[in-house]
Amino acid sequence: MLFNGVRNAAIASRQSAINESECRKGEGERNMAVSLRESVAQVADPRNLDAGVDEVFELMMGVKCRRETAEIPDSHAESVTAVVGFGGLLSGACVFKLSSETALTVAAKLTGIEFSEVDDTVKDAIGEICNMLAGSWKGKVPELSANCGLSVPAVITGRDYNLHVQAPEFRLHHVYSFGDHTFAVTIVCDGLQ
Amino acid sequence: MSEIRALIVDDSSVMRKIVERALRQAGIDLKEVHEAGSGVEGIEVLRACSVDLILSDINMPSMDGLEFLRQIRAQNLAEGVPVVMITTESSEEHVKQAIQSGAQGYIRKPFTPDQVKERVLPLVKSA
Repeated sequence: MLFNGVRNAAIASRQSAINESECRKGEGERNMAVSLRESVAQVADPRNLDAGVDEVFELMMGVKCRRETAEIPDSHAESVTAVVGFGGLLSGACVFKLSSETALTVAAKLTGIEFSEVDDTVKDAIGEICNMLAGSWKGKVPELSANCGLSVPAVITGRDYNLHVQAPEFRLHHVYSFGDHTFAVTIVCDGLQ
Repeated sequence: MSEIRALIVDDSSVMRKIVERALRQAGIDLKEVHEAGSGVEGIEVLRACSVDLILSDINMPSMDGLEFLRQIRAQNLAEGVPVVMITTESSEEHVKQAIQSGAQGYIRKPFTPDQVKERVLPLVKSA
């Protein structure tokens, strides 16, 4: 439900941009079809996700992240997950998942404020990082950048939950670390035009 | 450069604070900082207060940044006031739309304080 909600918001956002753009274009341009099908290898290139994570963490927090090969250890501790939907030529979502403890550290590095609990400001900060990760990732492929909208972020907190997408077109799932902290960024594409 | 009254429009309160901090780091002397969580709130602020600089996100609920920009230009709410869009949307099309809607500058998130300085300082100096 949440996944559909953020995706629909991204589609609406993209549609609004298309409508504005179409009003300004001439008839010739209006009929030009753009497709990402031809460039799926470029869109799904895992290096784009690494570059996006580096860019966001270094520019906004001065943090250098390492790509890890191991998955985040299974834990029943509380975690925070931010989701930003993609809509347009690509539909899906960017999912940023981290433990509550790591969320507090990330929010502190972003804002310069220390936090003792995952309050609204921390959730807002994690949502914004997810928004930038999604924007940075799609910005690596020009056709994607121009033809794919982003939803506003949704943030989930809790324990023992999974995000499941049926038969995605492709899925990129990377784990990164900085200091003693680890987090995961997942790009799920469930539709490509 | 005299003291500046700024309006920062972003649905994220964290981003509003980060933008304010970046403006101060850029050496901009902020006399007043007004915050708005959407384009609708931004218009309310502009009806009540005068500002010298507007920084706005694009992707926001209820009224996005481009519509906010068009509304303030149509209603002559901030005549001659430079507007800089700060957004994760980075395509040429988005930049073109922002400029056509009346923005003077465009900063892509994530950004560094130096980028804010480079794009905003010339606008407040010439205002």
